[in-house]
Amino acid sequence: MSGSYHDDENEHPSAWGPHDWSHGAPHNSWAPIIMSIGIGIFLYTLASAYSWGEMVDSSGISLAFIGLIISFFGLTVWWRQDASFDGTYEPRATGTPFQNIQIRKVAMWVFLMSEMMVFTALFSTYMRYRLGLTPCVEIYESGSWIVNSQTIDSGEAVNCFLPASELIASSWFHIAPGAINTFALIISSFTIVQALRWAKKPVGSVDEEVRRKRVYRYLGSTWILAIIFLTLKMVEWFIGFYIPEIAFLGIQEHDIASLVNEGYTIHADHYHPHHGWDDGHLAELAAANPGEFTAYFANIASLEGNYEPTNAVMMADIRVSTSTFFVTTGTHGAHVLIGIIGLTYMTWKAWMGRYTPKNAVSIEYFGLYWHFVDLVWVLVFPFFYLY
Amino acid sequence: MNIGKIHARSIVVMSILFMALAFSPLVSSFPTGISGVKDSGCNCHGATTSDIVVPTIIGLPSIYNYSESYEVTVAFTGGPSTIGNINLGGFHLWASEGELSTLDATVQQFNPSEVGHTEVGNDQTTWTLMWTAPASDKNIEFILHTNSVNGNAGGGAGSSGDEWNRISVKVSAPIEVLEQANPYVVLSTLIVISAILLAITVTYIFYRTNPDSFNWETFEPWIVEWLTSTDHKKVGTLYFLAGMFFLGIGGIMALMIRIQLSVPGNDFLTQDQYNQFFTLHGTTMIFLAAMPLINGFANWMVPLQIGAPDLALPRINAMSFWLQPVGALLIFTGVFSGTGADTGWTGYAPYIVSETAHVGTTMWVAGQLMLVASSTLTGVNFLTTIAVMRAPGMGWMQMPLFTWSILVANLMLFLSIPAFGVGLVQVYLDRVIGTAFYDASAGGDPLLWSHLFWYFGHPEVYVVIVPAFGVISEVIATSARRSVFGYRSMVYAMAGIGVVSFIVYGHHMFTSGMSPTLRFVTMLTTMLVAVPTGIKIFNWLKTMHRGSLVYRTHTLWALGFLITFTLGGISGMFFPSMAMDLHFHESYFVVAHFHYVLVGGTVFGFFSAIYYWFPKMTGKMLDERLGVLHFLTAFISYNGVFWPMHRLGVWGMARRHHTYFISTEEAMGSLPIEAAGWNMFISVSAFLFFFSNFILIANMIKSVIRGQKAPADPWGGWSFEWMTSSPPPTPSFGHFHDGVWSDLPTLKDANEDHIANEPSAVVKWFQSLMVLDDENEEASH
Amino acid sequence: MFHHSFWYTSKEGEEFENQDGIEVGVFPKHNDDMRLEVAWTVLPFILIIYLTYISWAPLDAVWTSADGGNHGYECGLSESSNNQIDLDTGIITSECYHILEITGKQWVWSFNCNPNEDSWTGDTVPDRGFELGTNLCDVGTIAIEGYGMQPLLSLKAGETYLAVMQSEDVTHSPWVQILGVKEDVLPSHQTTLWLPMHDVSESMILCTEYCGDAHSLMSAGLSVHN
Repeated sequence: MSGSYHDDENEHPSAWGPHDWSHGAPHNSWAPIIMSIGIGIFLYTLASAYSWGEMVDSSGISLAFIGLIISFFGLTVWWRQDASFDGTYEPRATGTPFQNIQIRKVAMWVFLMSEMMVFTALFSTYMRYRLGLTPCVEIYESGSWIVNSQTIDSGEAVNCFLPASELIASSWFHIAPGAINTFALIISSFTIVQALRWAKKPVGSVDEEVRRKRVYRYLGSTWILAIIFLTLKMVEWFIGFYIPEIAFLGIQEHDIASLVNEGYTIHADHYHPHHGWDDGHLAELAAANPGEFTAYFANIASLEGNYEPTNAVMMADIRVSTSTFFVTTGTHGAHVLIGIIGLTYMTWKAWMGRYTPKNAVSIEYFGLYWHFVDLVWVLVFPFFYLY
Repeated sequence: MNIGKIHARSIVVMSILFMALAFSPLVSSFPTGISGVKDSGCNCHGATTSDIVVPTIIGLPSIYNYSESYEVTVAFTGGPSTIGNINLGGFHLWASEGELSTLDATVQQFNPSEVGHTEVGNDQTTWTLMWTAPASDKNIEFILHTNSVNGNAGGGAGSSGDEWNRISVKVSAPIEVLEQANPYVVLSTLIVISAILLAITVTYIFYRTNPDSFNWETFEPWIVEWLTSTDHKKVGTLYFLAGMFFLGIGGIMALMIRIQLSVPGNDFLTQDQYNQFFTLHGTTMIFLAAMPLINGFANWMVPLQIGAPDLALPRINAMSFWLQPVGALLIFTGVFSGTGADTGWTGYAPYIVSETAHVGTTMWVAGQLMLVASSTLTGVNFLTTIAVMRAPGMGWMQMPLFTWSILVANLMLFLSIPAFGVGLVQVYLDRVIGTAFYDASAGGDPLLWSHLFWYFGHPEVYVVIVPAFGVISEVIATSARRSVFGYRSMVYAMAGIGVVSFIVYGHHMFTSGMSPTLRFVTMLTTMLVAVPTGIKIFNWLKTMHRGSLVYRTHTLWALGFLITFTLGGISGMFFPSMAMDLHFHESYFVVAHFHYVLVGGTVFGFFSAIYYWFPKMTGKMLDERLGVLHFLTAFISYNGVFWPMHRLGVWGMARRHHTYFISTEEAMGSLPIEAAGWNMFISVSAFLFFFSNFILIANMIKSVIRGQKAPADPWGGWSFEWMTSSPPPTPSFGHFHDGVWSDLPTLKDANEDHIANEPSAVVKWFQSLMVLDDENEEASH
Repeated sequence: MFHHSFWYTSKEGEEFENQDGIEVGVFPKHNDDMRLEVAWTVLPFILIIYLTYISWAPLDAVWTSADGGNHGYECGLSESSNNQIDLDTGIITSECYHILEITGKQWVWSFNCNPNEDSWTGDTVPDRGFELGTNLCDVGTIAIEGYGMQPLLSLKAGETYLAVMQSEDVTHSPWVQILGVKEDVLPSHQTTLWLPMHDVSESMILCTEYCGDAHSLMSAGLSVHN
């Protein structure tokens, strides 16, 4: 590694890293101030680039990237100090009730408590809106959207809640990315535990090259699974995918549209739900109250017999539903992304053979975070995708 | 030059550049008004002005007569306008005072201070209109934009190729009026001056540490040490400096608010400016002054008090600090140019996501997000440190009460602030990418913000007061030379306050349409919070009983705290009684209450802490006489500021109103005549209070340079910080060799019945749930 | 506190007793008295229960039900509230009440004495089928010094009104200063406020939920006459 541990003038380890851990934890580090400045620039420039959902200044995007790069640079300074950590300094708790547990493990648990509150607040928002707003299905089937509006597809949209599950849980193919993601995360929790197990095997009980390979492969697998998670999420949100014909299963070739292509976006204030809701009830209502439903039958010559809707199209303002969906699953996705960034560093460190039983416990700290992310997904998936 | 130096210098240069980048929008042109067109001109007709167009205004006097009408002719020459084209030109005229009116159909009036051309009138180059002077003395400014029309592009209505220009004309009153002070100029000047003074002080202190080598080679490692340090003492000092700086800035804003409110119907600050000022005053004081001051003392004292060499996560501690100044820059964005956040520190929806709220609001939200991150990391750090790094012999029930108070405060903080963070993210996304969390037209619910905010907001105010409780416990006990009365009850009372604080937040929402049942429950629980608080106050008084009080400045401040905080608490008791809240909500009674508990509680508590711990932190004693002078002037003027506000609230003065009017025989107003006199009294006292605190600043600076050397234990305290030298060494305790700490202190106990660190039944149960790592075991969590 | 501050001051030259064993690095002796502590826990608790108890009645009165509570049901044509005040508790009761509508909007209040199908309360407030006389409820304008031309609501003393309120944009709150009551108006749903006008008065209504630029000037006059 380039760079010496010490500044020329004095004995202290360099604030840029790498750090000599025989001195204890770093007394000086450039990372905090650099990361703070980077984050500040990012938030500032992002808000100057976009305003109320529209791009007002595209140069703000490049500046926002600069902010992210500066933050990342600060993070590399942090890692540079940590890369040489070999477990000589891993303090343990002295006070009850955590005696003898590594301090950083306690810190990770405490941090996860606050993260729990973040997701609780997001879930609370979701519950408040889901239970408080009328579901779109109900409004559609009651026919009130016809009765109350003078002209139907004139531009008046009803406010209602359309959960993402209406789109996603409508078929096995739609739900496939989400289901695969669930398995991916669960398996990744397993692989990270395996990485920890191999790293912790006592010296002498395993060949060091085997240890290095195993730890690096398990960490790498975790990384790959996390990447798969985010990729499938992007497919599900933006890209969509193509199903070829599988004749013996009776599957026609078709496209599974992404959520955004279906119109399920945060700006969806004139969304046209078209997923097989029950028209039959509407027909009965219309038969019972023909006077009120004349708009529904705009082009039918006679009101006897077949009541078939022609022009009737319910426009819904579903922005609240989409906002809660994308922001909650997006926050989870951001946590996965942070995990990927951490995993990148850890996989590299493992490849360099720097995990030994003495410092293996640092994999456990990440593992705790990763299990938490997995747990949140296990809650998010049924509540947002299935129900 | 070695790599370290290059790194360091380039970092300094880069940070200056980035600060400049961040600051640059802040130092853009000072405002000439709210209307965008008046500032930006006829942009549709061309991006910039053109010198070949010469506008003129004829008919205005240089000094007007009251209420007289003048016939004014506006005209222009030059530009592409040519006789014979279909359209020749247009104009727009503003008058800052008086009334503009039309004489014919070629001119239209948009409002009494603004006229322009009509469709009919756009084929001329001169227009005539009327202006009526005001009935009183004002400085008038006329701004004229004239546009010389190209008359091209198929029909002559095209605006490309037009050229326009602007002039402004001033008209004076019969009796000369002084130029109105521009509040932004005042504020920005004062802030810049404060920053420069801070820089000078820092440089001077550096100079005094080593007068012989006042040069860059010595300065650079010194400043780099401060910018990169993770040592709890240095980070604590940084927090303290930042906190005091922003306390001053918040105070400046308060003074400007008080100038505006000193007389009824004042116009020193316009409504829009006032709205930004009170928003920033609140935000600065709570998030950038109170919390950093608390963190400063917590950083300094908690590791010392528990006998630990540093905090559990030193680099994260430094990160918590550095997020704050950068967050502050974001929060203050726009305040110098008139587009700062104007939502109130509570930032209610839907106003905060409406387009009428200024652009700076988005930056305010972003800055707050950074502060949320900072507080969360602080909470994690302190909780972990106190839980795991206590010295041998120090069980939970042997910790000093200040440490307990920091523990309870941080527990409340990091469990409540994520809800605020989520709310902020929702608002940020609403304003930036257009999500619909709080958009009422899409079904969004503004009460959701209220719940998320106050779920955080109420524990937050206890977060700022509980550490002050801790300080007072220490100070009174040491001054009376007794141990605190009822140590266990004090601990349980703080913990009780911490728990109950989460369920009473509804009392900020009493008027928002809650169900009566919920109102009753919140009423009862809010009143109950007074019980543990009362226990603490009685315990402090009983501590003094049969003590041997030694009066120092910190003692005076602690006794002052007891008075003002108790008064604040009692005034707070009026709000849970729902029917009374209906009158007092959003009135000056609320303002009086929270300033009594925040300033009279938190700030006085921390003044006491300054006098108490300054010798330990700097190794120099503060001047007692200056301290007593500071106490007397500040305490008396403070009460002069906030006590009359109770009365104003009862009379019906509303908060967040830029001005107020009194009822006279001729006019209906909301307040009686005395209110004006009391407001002036409050404003004068506010100035006295502000300046009295400079005595403290002077005392601190003088003592750092020339104070008497402080012993390790000047006051006779018992906790570990008094064992170390003044100032303490680095690391604060012990030595680090071969991966372990040695020579950490052990706490002895004067109560014979205590056995150090023997786990209680609850702790034993908790431990049985955990699987402890063992070198020889397989991985376990 | 004042007594203890003077009585227990240390005196010059006095021997210091150190009864609690205060010494650096030693946790001092406990200083407690269980009976005293229980006393000053229980007594404030009882006081608070008492304060809650006496606050209950006003709470119930302010949020009394519109369906047969303190103010009965909505008045029919030519009916009067005849409200009475109980001088001991200050609680006002009426035989019936009149509904009116208050709308908040940046930055002006508007009043509607006769909400009907066409106004936004149409769904929740059924059209009562007749109009209130201008003697009972009238909307006009008044010039208030400093505030400018503002709406004026004229009501009759002795009558009780139920204000059904909503906002067109952001949150506001009308503070009816003469009664000392206020309730937020929100864009997402309606809120209500009882206005039992008992005495003749001229007072103001101020906006007390920050709503932006002209929040301070958003006001109205309230005139209660015989």
